[in-house]
Amino acid sequence: MTVTPDPALVADARRERRFFLSLSLPALFIVGLAAILPILWIIRQSFLTTGGEYTVGNYAKVLSSGLTWSALVTTLELSLGTLAICILLGTPLALALASARPRVANVLMAFVMLPLWTAILVRTYGWLVLLRRDGLINAALTGSGLTAEPLPLVYNFTGTLIGMVHYMLPLFLLPVYAAMRDIDPNLIRAAASMGATLGQVIRTVIMPLSAGGIFSGSIIVLIYSIGFFITPAVLGGGKVNPLSTRIERTLSTFQDWGSASVLGILLLVLMALIGVMLLAARRLLAQNTVEASAHA
Amino acid sequence: MSWLRISLAAFAISAALPVHAQTVTITTAGGDYGNAMKEAMWGPAAKELGYDVREETQSDGLAALKMQVTSGAVATDVIHLGSPEGAQAAAQSLLEPLDYMIIDPKSVPDGAKSDYCYPFDSYGTVMSWNTKTYGENPPKTWAEFWDVAKFSGRRALRANAQDSIEIALLSDGVAPADVYSVLSTPEGLERAIKRLEAIKPHVAVWWTSGAQSAQLLKDGEADLVVTWNGRAETVKADGGAADYTFKGSVIGTDCLGVPKGAPNKEAAMKLIAAMTQPARVAKLTDFIAYGPVNPAAYEGGLIPEDRLKALATAPENAGTSVFSNSEWWVKNGEAAQKAFDEMMSR
Repeated sequence: MTVTPDPALVADARRERRFFLSLSLPALFIVGLAAILPILWIIRQSFLTTGGEYTVGNYAKVLSSGLTWSALVTTLELSLGTLAICILLGTPLALALASARPRVANVLMAFVMLPLWTAILVRTYGWLVLLRRDGLINAALTGSGLTAEPLPLVYNFTGTLIGMVHYMLPLFLLPVYAAMRDIDPNLIRAAASMGATLGQVIRTVIMPLSAGGIFSGSIIVLIYSIGFFITPAVLGGGKVNPLSTRIERTLSTFQDWGSASVLGILLLVLMALIGVMLLAARRLLAQNTVEASAHA
Repeated sequence: MSWLRISLAAFAISAALPVHAQTVTITTAGGDYGNAMKEAMWGPAAKELGYDVREETQSDGLAALKMQVTSGAVATDVIHLGSPEGAQAAAQSLLEPLDYMIIDPKSVPDGAKSDYCYPFDSYGTVMSWNTKTYGENPPKTWAEFWDVAKFSGRRALRANAQDSIEIALLSDGVAPADVYSVLSTPEGLERAIKRLEAIKPHVAVWWTSGAQSAQLLKDGEADLVVTWNGRAETVKADGGAADYTFKGSVIGTDCLGVPKGAPNKEAAMKLIAAMTQPARVAKLTDFIAYGPVNPAAYEGGLIPEDRLKALATAPENAGTSVFSNSEWWVKNGEAAQKAFDEMMSR
């Protein structure tokens, strides 16, 4: 037996839905204006010569240059390196936060979030004070006799990576922490009561249930890291040149808007590829988990 | 439409009426530099000519110029640019040719001459060092800067081919006068790049902004820093353990140009001529350590003795220097920068 809904109610629901949709129009308008239009403009620009004629020359020039590819490799090394360290440091930290008493967790969370409230330029220069040749860390190392010479901690790849991880870790932590906090403690108790060790609990209960958070965190880290400019520019000492600094060079030294646009599109494509790959990996993993639990 | 027509007509009438003072708009970089130019240069010149000068400020003069000229809405009559940008603007036909009937052609030394952008003041890319590291015996030439056996220590250079390749050739024994003829051959450019590659393992930082180079010198992060004389002078004046020399410096200039299609072209030329009179460009050095290009400004004690020492173009400082050649950079800049970037990525 089917219930025929009251036509008046249906019309009401439809009107309501339309109203809510219209509420999102201003936001859509802003997104269109601030994100989609500039991207379209960049795509158009990438096909123009400096004289304003259509060409594919910019693509040929950028893609045939060894500099583009070495910048691409640096970009990938930096973002994957940042992600790896974020996962290694962030996952245990999130686990500790999620299992701490709420009061302790709140205090710890405030410490984690503190960097987020500081401007990136200030933080980057802060790292310079800590990491430079006669900075605090090197002064402590050489002063205590741990190292004879100051370590090269900044103006290189290491310094850039430190700065980037410092920026990204809180943003990685948030979704992971949220996912872990939402795990029903009864599941963990159940696993433990069946004789699972701590390692088994983490592997078979906590990790699969927080995989979503880890994936979201990873996507955030990668997408942010790919476009990082200030950190490599300040902490890299001119030796770490990802695509973002390549774009800046192309614009400021050559006013070559066409080639810079091509590099920008390359970044966009890279982000899209990574996004698609991660989503595919997530789906695959979810399937495996379902199968694994079905077999268990 | 009618409003536009009326205001255009009003504009035409007001422009035609002789009772109105001539209005000229100047675009400067603003900040301390812009104020110095106003106090020393165009302020007094405007008074003398009876012009009503309006100032606009732009941090990226070339971008602003390009936008105004390509959109056909030129609002400024005189624009302040770095000479390489001036040459670039000229190559893209964004500037009117200078009227050397109004502006004195003898006021510019041959090495710095330009048909489109009048060079009026200058700065030097110099060698600076940490006085704690080297005491009384700092390196004195670029060849010694490259001599890592004799002068150990961490170097800092600008992450840009500009000035770096000139310095590299000077360090390799090329005479200042021959730098650009050597660089104009493919082997010459390669020689400069190879020279930079040789010093690369000893370069702790390739800096990207003038402020950063000053910080490196001040903090002792690097012992030998290639920087601009104004920056080195500031670190020294602030009590930093630093000193510098003008020996072998690469002199760059800033210039004044008239945008193509400027509304008051002739008045603009007259203003440029008046604001760059020797006494006025000499006065500029009271406010900022950028030396006049016009040799006459160094005569008659216009600039105090002790101030002279801080200027790149002071006669005693200029002998071993190279004038950065803007035309060369417009023609070869992209190739040179590419070769430099490839050296950096190796």
